[in-house]
Amino acid sequence: MQKRILLSIMTLFSAMHLYAQQSCATAIPAVLGTTTASTSFGTTPPAPAHCMVLNGSESFLWYTFTPAVDTNVRVSTVTSTNTGLDTRISVFSGTCGALSCIAYGDDESAFLSIATFAATAGTTYYIVFDTYWGNMPIDFTISYVSTGGGGGPIPQLITFTTQGIPNGDNSRCVMDMNGDHIDDIVYTSGNTLRVHYQTAPATFTSTTHTISGTVTNAPSWSIAGGDMDNNGYNDLIYGGGSGASIIMANSTGTAYTHYSGGQYIFSQRTNVVDINNDGIADAFVCHDIDANVFYISNGSGGFTWNQGGLGANGGNYGSVWIDYDNDCDMDLYIAKCGSDPIDQLHRNNGDGTYTSVGVAAGLNDATENWSSTWADFDNDGDMDVFMGASSNWGGLSHKLYRNNGNGTFTNITAGSGFDLYYSNLGIENYPGDFNNDGWVDVYGLGGLIMFNDGDMTFTASTSPVAGAAVGDLNQDGALDLVAGTTIYKNNLTSNNYIVVSTVGVQSNKNGIGARVTVQTASGSQIRDVRSGQAFSSMQTLNAHFGIGQETAIEKITICWPSGVVDVINNPAINSHLVVVEGSTVSVQEELSQNLQVFPNPATSHLSISGLPANRVFALEIFDVTGKLISTQQVSENVTVDVQSLVPGIYVARISGEASQLNVKFIKE
Amino acid sequence: MDFFLHLVAMIRTLFFVFALAFIAACRRDVPIPDDIPDEDTGVVFNLDQVPYPKLSDYKFFTGALKNLNPNERVLPYEPITPLFSDYAHKSRFVWMMKDSSAQYVSDHSLFDFPDGTVFIKNFYYDNVVPSGERKILETRLLYKKEGEWKFADYIWNQDQSEAVYETNGSYVPVQWIDDQGDNQSLTFRIPSEVECFTCHKSNGNKIPIAPKPQNLDKDFSYPDGVKNQLVKWQEVGYLTGNVPGTIARVADWTDDTQPLETRVRSYLDINCGFCHSDGGHCNYRPIRLEFFKTLDPAMLGVCEIPQQFITPQLTHVIARSNIARSVMHFRMSSTDPQYMMPLLGRSVVHQEAVDLLGQYILSLTPICN
Repeated sequence: MQKRILLSIMTLFSAMHLYAQQSCATAIPAVLGTTTASTSFGTTPPAPAHCMVLNGSESFLWYTFTPAVDTNVRVSTVTSTNTGLDTRISVFSGTCGALSCIAYGDDESAFLSIATFAATAGTTYYIVFDTYWGNMPIDFTISYVSTGGGGGPIPQLITFTTQGIPNGDNSRCVMDMNGDHIDDIVYTSGNTLRVHYQTAPATFTSTTHTISGTVTNAPSWSIAGGDMDNNGYNDLIYGGGSGASIIMANSTGTAYTHYSGGQYIFSQRTNVVDINNDGIADAFVCHDIDANVFYISNGSGGFTWNQGGLGANGGNYGSVWIDYDNDCDMDLYIAKCGSDPIDQLHRNNGDGTYTSVGVAAGLNDATENWSSTWADFDNDGDMDVFMGASSNWGGLSHKLYRNNGNGTFTNITAGSGFDLYYSNLGIENYPGDFNNDGWVDVYGLGGLIMFNDGDMTFTASTSPVAGAAVGDLNQDGALDLVAGTTIYKNNLTSNNYIVVSTVGVQSNKNGIGARVTVQTASGSQIRDVRSGQAFSSMQTLNAHFGIGQETAIEKITICWPSGVVDVINNPAINSHLVVVEGSTVSVQEELSQNLQVFPNPATSHLSISGLPANRVFALEIFDVTGKLISTQQVSENVTVDVQSLVPGIYVARISGEASQLNVKFIKE
Repeated sequence: MDFFLHLVAMIRTLFFVFALAFIAACRRDVPIPDDIPDEDTGVVFNLDQVPYPKLSDYKFFTGALKNLNPNERVLPYEPITPLFSDYAHKSRFVWMMKDSSAQYVSDHSLFDFPDGTVFIKNFYYDNVVPSGERKILETRLLYKKEGEWKFADYIWNQDQSEAVYETNGSYVPVQWIDDQGDNQSLTFRIPSEVECFTCHKSNGNKIPIAPKPQNLDKDFSYPDGVKNQLVKWQEVGYLTGNVPGTIARVADWTDDTQPLETRVRSYLDINCGFCHSDGGHCNYRPIRLEFFKTLDPAMLGVCEIPQQFITPQLTHVIARSNIARSVMHFRMSSTDPQYMMPLLGRSVVHQEAVDLLGQYILSLTPICN
């Protein structure tokens, strides 16, 4: 009722002012990009017929659009300003009085609309919005979209400046190699490891290292890196066609030694991650034709071979370690392809065991993919996932899943923008904020950057090269690309950023697995520190955040794999912040060193001892899906009743004024 | 007339039903062979006990093992166009249990082989440095048990007196003098079981690859004279039932009297078609490289846009008239594991085959869009 009155008032208002958008004859031209919609509407429907059913009381808003090239045109009301509205779009060709409907959109994303149509250069099309469902859009966008496979033109929304890699070397490995947390470029060939150290922005000093021992595998399928012996210098893992090689840096980062277990592995994606959470990073290798393998590091250059338990059979292509359930430990997602294409999610139980939960999570997806892209695309505090298809086999293609925050995911591909590029296939898909607007984009689909519009819709841009490694090669806070023999420097200057490097103390040295949260007035953003994303390349280990036009960061919180939580208040923007684990907490070290939670497993009671005296802490208990079960206040040497908990794995979070600690326990 | 035909058909059907029942009954009732050597051939093959620890345990060969002198009913065979395996030579044999036989299914399908069928494939190099002699590296068995195919690989010892069962893969360095008198060397990969399965796979089941009518319909020089292999198989009882007189067969890829396209399609069938098929390892890519499908240029990849980006130059799977833009040519010319095709089974480029493909690509017009 209220709506109807409002509508009547608006209609009355518009009737008093004759604007140009009220009829076919007075439609005004719209252009590419976003147009603020007029609020003056007409009541004459398109003739001879409208695209969709009418109830006779609609208002209409008329625009024209004349593309400059032969292409597909997308008209969309899916914008953040229209959230909550219910719109419709119709598109016509022809002339006024002799219009024919060629496309329409209704409910493509929630109750908003997208209409896509094939257009001829120089031809004028009529775009009509109506109020059948009650609302006109506040604004709308017009864009060119590709039909894929080299089809229609896609704009390039950001530009890059190229620079050759010194020595004409080729590379797909970008990470810090000399412990200064600034991205370097790594070239490998047989026993040669040449590092192009970034000694000043976009300035490189090259050093050729000869790896001792015989390097038996080349990184032909993938390369990943991280510090696997906590000596402050990053090591490498090469994923070869018939085995994996690990290249260990010495304690000064000046010499390298080869290690290989000698096992046959048809390697695919490799990752460096602390699989057994002992504070030392390990190496994981996806196996194309057998169960996945992992090498557990002993922290001094030795490794223990393991196979099984983290993805069986074969068809394992793209492993990525991410924290999907916000418990500050790394879970494993495997993008699968070929004869056994059902993807898998392995939840880290925090006690060295993993449980396969892909089916329960709704992520047992059959899309043929070689990599998956994890990021909090909607900035709601948990990791969502984009699965970029490598093939349309079985009629499947890209999928975008929203994390529901309770251990399950919902497919929201329709209307996301990815559905317009089902034929743009690729094996490399990487998450990064390439325009620093505070929303994580997807670099993939065979060389597109899908810019995140902030409302779970994405707009395509071309990029100069597909499948590149990603990092910051000129220290300007914008993500750059490295592929072949070329550095592609992102020309972006418009937005603010912060780069965070994590240095583990109790946790592994790189802080791989740490959850970094940046809070600004606009809200919070999260990143996991990860090694080995997309399919083949190694990307920066730094957590990179664009913050758009925000001029201040309220705080940065880092939850480390050890359970330690650091909080940095008001860090400078447009800076590179290096955070050492535990460096910001006062009572934190007391908490982590003396605190005991027992018995574990617990049956009826859980005792907490070692809390600092004369202080009050909050105790929150979460289940494995991250759901808060109970909250209470605790102090020194307390026993809490856990009889009512259903048997399973829980996290006890103990929080003080500026510190926080997570402890996992099992309820029997 | 009509009635008579119906009667004949009915009798035929009845006979067929009885025959089937009889065969089924026979199969059920066939006693499991014991350890006593097969009375006809001396081959020892007990389905409950294989794989045996040593190759000699089977008595497939008589005399010195390395001479590969087949026991009775161990029948040599050869496909019209073979799989390339790093220039290794192969000698192949088939053996079936007494009173069992295979049936024809279609020109391009595997024969319907009975339980107890064994394929024996020996990999060797001639003129090996420094002895100048033959060196056998491995003998692969593929046998059928309870309707399923099984692998068993035997690795030859240094003095070529025995080969032992092994499921793990290994590497063997080989140096030899080729037919042109040139020194060649490479590291030969003996595959592990999971590698075998990667190629010998259809819809998750293990399968043989070559023994199809299209690959075997050729003359072979047997000790008692030259004969068509399918005829020979029928004579020895390895093949029963109807076999068409004319088979849509592949060409010998080296036979330059055959059309270029047929030779290329034949090579691709045996070297690539097992993966690039509906149930194969690479089924998710749209090309299909089996001989019976590649008459369709799209299945062969002609002017098809590759799904996997490599470089901007490589615009088509096969770009007519343009080798530099053809992904297939690039992949067959590569030894980089991430690009090379086939993925397994070779460490060097089969240059003669790459040249043939190049010739074929240049012969195609007009250029792709």
